Amino acid sequence: MVKANDRLPYRILVVDDEKAIRMMLVDFLENRYELDTADTGENALEMLKQKKYDLVISDINMPGMSGPELLKVVRKEYKGTKTALITAYNIDEYITIAKEYEISNIIPKTVPFNFAELDSLIYGLLTGDIFGLDRYLLDDGMMMEKHVIKSSRQAREIRENIISLFVDKFGTCGDMKLILDEIITNAIYHAPLRDDGTEKYQEFTDIDLEPQEYIYVECGYDREKYAVSVTDLQGRLTKDTVLYKIDRQITGEGLLDDSGRGLHMSRLFADRLIINIAPNRRTEVILINYFANKYRGYKPLYINEL
Amino acid sequence: MIQLLPVLLIVLAIGCAYWWVKRETQRRYELFDSDSTIEVPKKVTLDEQIRISKKELETVFDAITEAICIIDKKFTIIRVNKSYAALVGQPIKKLLGKHCYQTLWKRDSICSDCPASGTFLSGEVVVRKGIRVKEADENKFFEMKTYPVSDETGRVVHVIEFTREVTDEKRISEQLIRSEKLASIGIMTAGIAHEMNNPLSGISGMAVNLLEMPQKYGLNERGIERVRAILDSSARATSIMRDLLYLSRKADSTSVLISINSLIIKAVEVIHYPGMSEIHQRFNFEKSLPLIHCDPAKIEQVIINVISNAVQSILEKKQICLQNNISFSGLLLISTQLQDEENILITISDNGTGIPEANRSRIFDPFFSTRPPGQGTGLGLSISHKIIEEHGGRIFFDCIDDVTVFSIVLPIERKGYY
Repeated sequence: MVKANDRLPYRILVVDDEKAIRMMLVDFLENRYELDTADTGENALEMLKQKKYDLVISDINMPGMSGPELLKVVRKEYKGTKTALITAYNIDEYITIAKEYEISNIIPKTVPFNFAELDSLIYGLLTGDIFGLDRYLLDDGMMMEKHVIKSSRQAREIRENIISLFVDKFGTCGDMKLILDEIITNAIYHAPLRDDGTEKYQEFTDIDLEPQEYIYVECGYDREKYAVSVTDLQGRLTKDTVLYKIDRQITGEGLLDDSGRGLHMSRLFADRLIINIAPNRRTEVILINYFANKYRGYKPLYINEL
Repeated sequence: MIQLLPVLLIVLAIGCAYWWVKRETQRRYELFDSDSTIEVPKKVTLDEQIRISKKELETVFDAITEAICIIDKKFTIIRVNKSYAALVGQPIKKLLGKHCYQTLWKRDSICSDCPASGTFLSGEVVVRKGIRVKEADENKFFEMKTYPVSDETGRVVHVIEFTREVTDEKRISEQLIRSEKLASIGIMTAGIAHEMNNPLSGISGMAVNLLEMPQKYGLNERGIERVRAILDSSARATSIMRDLLYLSRKADSTSVLISINSLIIKAVEVIHYPGMSEIHQRFNFEKSLPLIHCDPAKIEQVIINVISNAVQSILEKKQICLQNNISFSGLLLISTQLQDEENILITISDNGTGIPEANRSRIFDPFFSTRPPGQGTGLGLSISHKIIEEHGGRIFFDCIDDVTVFSIVLPIERKGYY
């Protein structure tokens, strides 16, 4: 849980042609960060020459230089600066662009705007502190369960356990039942690799993980949402793989395509899918459902790769 | 001799064949020469000839499906065909001698826009379109053409009136125009809805900031209350925009095998209206219904929509009955069955207020709502219609007295382009 009003020593540049959006973001973010704004990509580049920014958040559609073009220049010329896009449009349509421009985070302009989500995203980007479900819960957040999975049998039990926990507490688990199975299956069967890069375990077989292999499953909730996270200690997933799979699913075969179906379904059926990656160390997949369709808008793209 | 017998037989056979062919050929030539397919007795009297041609003319006259009526200068009917009699709904004999304005148009004097009087005056063909006749509750539409019949001096003595009912044609063309219009409005609104997302996000986002940090902006209680109203309004605008976007959105959906019965139960569970528990709900589910391929979220949306309408209608009826001291018990009946080998049928019936005749043709139109502003966007059923269409199914309704039955036919296999 991120503590409000702790000032942090970072400077952010907000780029959007819509004044209301700039004001809205500044009003919220200026409590914690140094902030500047620009109304076009060209002006943003001018400002980047004057000062060092830790993060540039840019709208996608702007007159003149577009957001992805601006961020491409930023990443090339200002190596330490983090980047994120923001848009009111359907993010699914930008996945291909994200792949091409190496963009990991696209924030949706929902109604009302989801400030808490923006907050945890920015905090993670700036500090590199991305892991742990509690990081994504509000100040009244409660962690409900934390499990370690060592075998496929245990995985089934824990999945059932979490689903019934949600149903008992909230009267529903949305479509978590379906996707939690996919995500845990991915973590157990597809994450552990042999040295030659092939998968160690065969799906649909009963397996026990080796001592150094294990999976965390956490679940929790706050006043807006309930969430579950699945962490493996392999860290084999990469941003490129995720983008490739999501894009292939959005543009291609849909549910019939077996490869990457888990990620696709998670993005489709959960309100939020957040993927945190520390290469070769850790992968965390977070699924979030909001109560009562709280934030109306398109689904974001959140991949944090350290 | 015996050896010659077969030869003789062959010669005989050839001879017979030759004779037969010759006779046939000759007969065909004769047929050609006689030059008449209808037999005319060799000696007919003039009277008979006149009678025959009159009969032929009458046959032609009656075979024409347009209503034809011949009138004289006083607008008195001197001849009508069967179609005309059928249109008026009286036998031909009763029509002769009456005035045309009496029979078809049910008037006492000549119609003010009478095309026949124009033809009498000018001697030219006159066309009159869009003639509207009010009959009971519905409008009927007619088209008329009047042709002059002149004597040797060129004076118009008779006028032939062609009358055609075009009610159905007119309705179809109106529907076409409407759907064309709707299509273009759809394309336009999709663009607008998309663009509106941006400012709406700004409006609501700033409102949230104002509410979170009122002291930062010097906002007092009155101000806070108003900002809250801004936030509510922007949320409502967004949900309308989302519905609109849905109507014109590109397909991005999913196909899953589901049990329609459990989907309906799930849908009913999420509908809550005050007083709904007093409605008698009956489920008549076909237990052996096969699983169907569909986009469950969308089908659920349709079911929720239709059931919500039914429930609201029952509650309205109840309110009316309560005011008039009439006892009423609401009934909601939901049933599923196998329609045929390829389709399932879901019916949702209620005994609420029913759908007024005048609204029936429009209830699937976007923005058509009978509820007060703010209580319905009027998009629910048009979205439902679109969803079912995308699934390759059908949605329609029947009203029998106060019972309204909505039927949804869905294919079992994936058929649509959703």
